Amino acid sequence: MLKSHVKFHSIAGKRLVLIVDDEIVNREMLRNIVQNDFDVVMAEDGEEAVEKIKEHGDLLSLILLDLNMPKMGGYDVIQWLKSSDDYVNIPVIVLTGDKHAEVDSLTMGAADFLTKDPLVPEVVLTRMQKTIELYEDRSIIQSTEREDLTGLFNKEYFYRYSEQFDTFHSELIMDAVFIDINHFHLINELYGRKAGDEVLIHLSDYLKDLREKTRCIAGRVEADKFFVYIEHGKVSYTTMAEEINSHFDDFRDIHVRVRCGIYQNVDKSFDIETRFDRAVQAANTIKGNYSKSIARYDNETFQKKMFEDRLITEMDEAMATHQFYLNFQPKYNVHGEEPVLASAEVLVRWDHPELGRISPGQFIPIFEHNGLIQKLDFYIWDRALECAGRWRKEHGIELPLSVNVSRMDLYNSSLIDFIIEKLIDYDISKKNLYLEITESAYMDDSAQLIEIINSLRAEGFKIEMDDFGTGYSSLNMLADVPVDVLKMDMRFVQNLNSSEKQETMIRLIMDIAKYLKMEVVAEGVEDKEQVDFLRSVGCDVIQGYYFSKPLAEKEFVEHVLQAQKK
Amino acid sequence: MLTIENLKELGADTEGGLARCINNEEFYLKMVNLSLQDANFEKLRSAIDGGDMDGAFEAAHALKGVLGNVGLTQLHEPIAEMTEELRARKDIDYSGYIETIFSELEKLRAFE
Repeated sequence: MLKSHVKFHSIAGKRLVLIVDDEIVNREMLRNIVQNDFDVVMAEDGEEAVEKIKEHGDLLSLILLDLNMPKMGGYDVIQWLKSSDDYVNIPVIVLTGDKHAEVDSLTMGAADFLTKDPLVPEVVLTRMQKTIELYEDRSIIQSTEREDLTGLFNKEYFYRYSEQFDTFHSELIMDAVFIDINHFHLINELYGRKAGDEVLIHLSDYLKDLREKTRCIAGRVEADKFFVYIEHGKVSYTTMAEEINSHFDDFRDIHVRVRCGIYQNVDKSFDIETRFDRAVQAANTIKGNYSKSIARYDNETFQKKMFEDRLITEMDEAMATHQFYLNFQPKYNVHGEEPVLASAEVLVRWDHPELGRISPGQFIPIFEHNGLIQKLDFYIWDRALECAGRWRKEHGIELPLSVNVSRMDLYNSSLIDFIIEKLIDYDISKKNLYLEITESAYMDDSAQLIEIINSLRAEGFKIEMDDFGTGYSSLNMLADVPVDVLKMDMRFVQNLNSSEKQETMIRLIMDIAKYLKMEVVAEGVEDKEQVDFLRSVGCDVIQGYYFSKPLAEKEFVEHVLQAQKK
Repeated sequence: MLTIENLKELGADTEGGLARCINNEEFYLKMVNLSLQDANFEKLRSAIDGGDMDGAFEAAHALKGVLGNVGLTQLHEPIAEMTEELRARKDIDYSGYIETIFSELEKLRAFE
C-alpha cells in the first residue's frame, strides 16, 4: 500500500474525498457543493468514517470531518488517523459551527477548518483545493516516491499511480510511452555529470508541462529513461519527439536526441509493467537509427521476437532430441562432356515438434546473431562426418562434403582441433571436407581471420567463399584472402534470364576467378539454358535443382550410387 | 408540497438556502424536507422535558447548523439563541423556545 497522501498529482481524474457528518442535510449539501470537482464517499459517524478510510485508504485526498457525532466523534477520528501508519498523511478539514473548536482542531493536527453554519460553497471548495495542494506540494519534499533530480515519479510509484489511474478510468484508451536519451552516457562523459543532470531536468520540465496540459502520468524510471502513461489521442508523438528534440536545440551546445517507443491503445489485460516493456521493445527497434525518433510497438514485431526467443531457448533440446537433421545437395562438375558428381553441400533442417519445419533462413541468422551458431555448426560437422564415415564403410562412397563455417566459428580456438579429431574418429580424409565461409565473414578484414583461414588451408582443407557477390568484397581484398573456390551467389544465376547485365556480371566473376586461380561454383541453377551458359563461360561446378534438390540422407546415398554407376 | 413561495411567506431565507444548494431548487426543497424530519427536534424536546442539558445542547447545536444551511430562519433564530443558553448550561425555562420552534415546525410540516 502507498503510504503517501499524494493522490494523482498528474491525474486526469477527480480526487476522492470523504465527507463525515451525522446530519444527512449537511452531508448531502456538502456533496452537492463538491461533486463537480471531487468524487465523494460519505460516513455518518466516526466509526463509519474509520471503515471508509480503511476501505479507500490511499485513494483519499481529503477528509471533511464533523466534530459532534454519535458513536465516535471527530476528535477521535483525528486521533485515530494520527496514530495510524497508513493514513497519517491524509489531510483533514474540520467542519464546525463553533469558533473555539477551530483552535482545538488545528492543534490536534487538522489541516484546516470550515464553518458549516452556514456553509459558503465557494469557501468550501477553495479551502479544499488549497489544502490538497499544500499537502501534495509538501510531499514532493518529503516523499521518496518522487525521484530527487527531476521530481517525477520513480519507477515503482509510476507503476502504482498508473494502475490507480486505470481503476478510476477503465473506459479510457491509454498509450504507454517510453522516452530514452540517445548516447546519454556520452553526454555525461564529455560534458560532465552536471551537464547530464541538466539534460535530464530539461526533459523532465518538458514532461511536467505535458502533464499539465494532458493530465498524463510521468516518471523517470532509470538514469535517462522516462515513462509516460497518457490518454490516447492527447498528443501526436511525432510532434512530441520533434518538440523534445528542438527543446534541446538551444541547450548548451550539446546535441541531444531522444528515442521514443510507443505502445498505443494498451491491452489492459496485461499488467502495467508488460505494457511498458512493449513500449521499450518498440524503442529498441530503432536503437542506433538516428533518422528515427519514434517507433510504435506492433504485435507482429513482438510475435517475431517471441518466436526468435523460443528458437533460442529450445535449440539445446532440439539438438538433444535430433530435431535437426541434414540434407545434402549434390554439386556437379561440368567441365567434361558429361556432368560428373563432384561433391555435396551439407544443409541443416529443423523439424520442430510443434512449430513444424523451420526454415534455416529463419533460425540461422538468429543463431548467428547471438553466437549459438557455433554449437549448431559443431553439431552439424559431427553429424555430417559421421554420415560420410558410414557411407564409406557401407557403400564405399568417397565424396567430398562441404559444410558451412560461420564467421564466429573462425574465432573459436578449438575449431581446427575439433574438425581434425572428428575426421580421425570417422576416418575421413581432409581433402574430402570443404569449408564454406560466407563472403560477409571476410568483411572483418582482420589479420587474425586471414591467419585462421590460412592455417585451415595449410591443414589441407579446401576453402569456399560462399554467397560471393552479395557482400562488399573489394577486388583488392579478393587478391589477399586465402580462398580456393568462389561460390557465386544464386541471385546471379536466377536473374540470368532477365537481363544481359547479369551475363556480363557472371563473365566478370569468371574472369576474376580465372585470374586469381580460383574455381567457381554456381548455385541455384534450375534449367538447361543456365547450365549451358555457365559452361560456355567456363564455370567449373554447378549446384541446383537442375541436377538435384537437397536430399535426405537415404535419397542422397541412392543418388550418389546411381551417379557412380554412370 | 412546499414551494419556495410558501417558505418565503413563512419567513425563510430561501435566497441563502438556494445559494448553498448551488441554486438547484429541487435539491433545495428536498433538503428543507429532510431537515424537517430531523430526529433532533424530538430529542431536543424530550431532553428539555427530562432536564438533560447535555442532550438538549447537542440536539440544539446540531439543528442550528442544519437549519442555518437550509435557510429556515424562523427556526434557526430561536434554536441558535437556545443553543447559546444551553452551551452555558443556563437553568432557565426553555419551554417558550420549544413552543415557538414546534409551532413553526408544524406550519412547515403541514405542507408535506
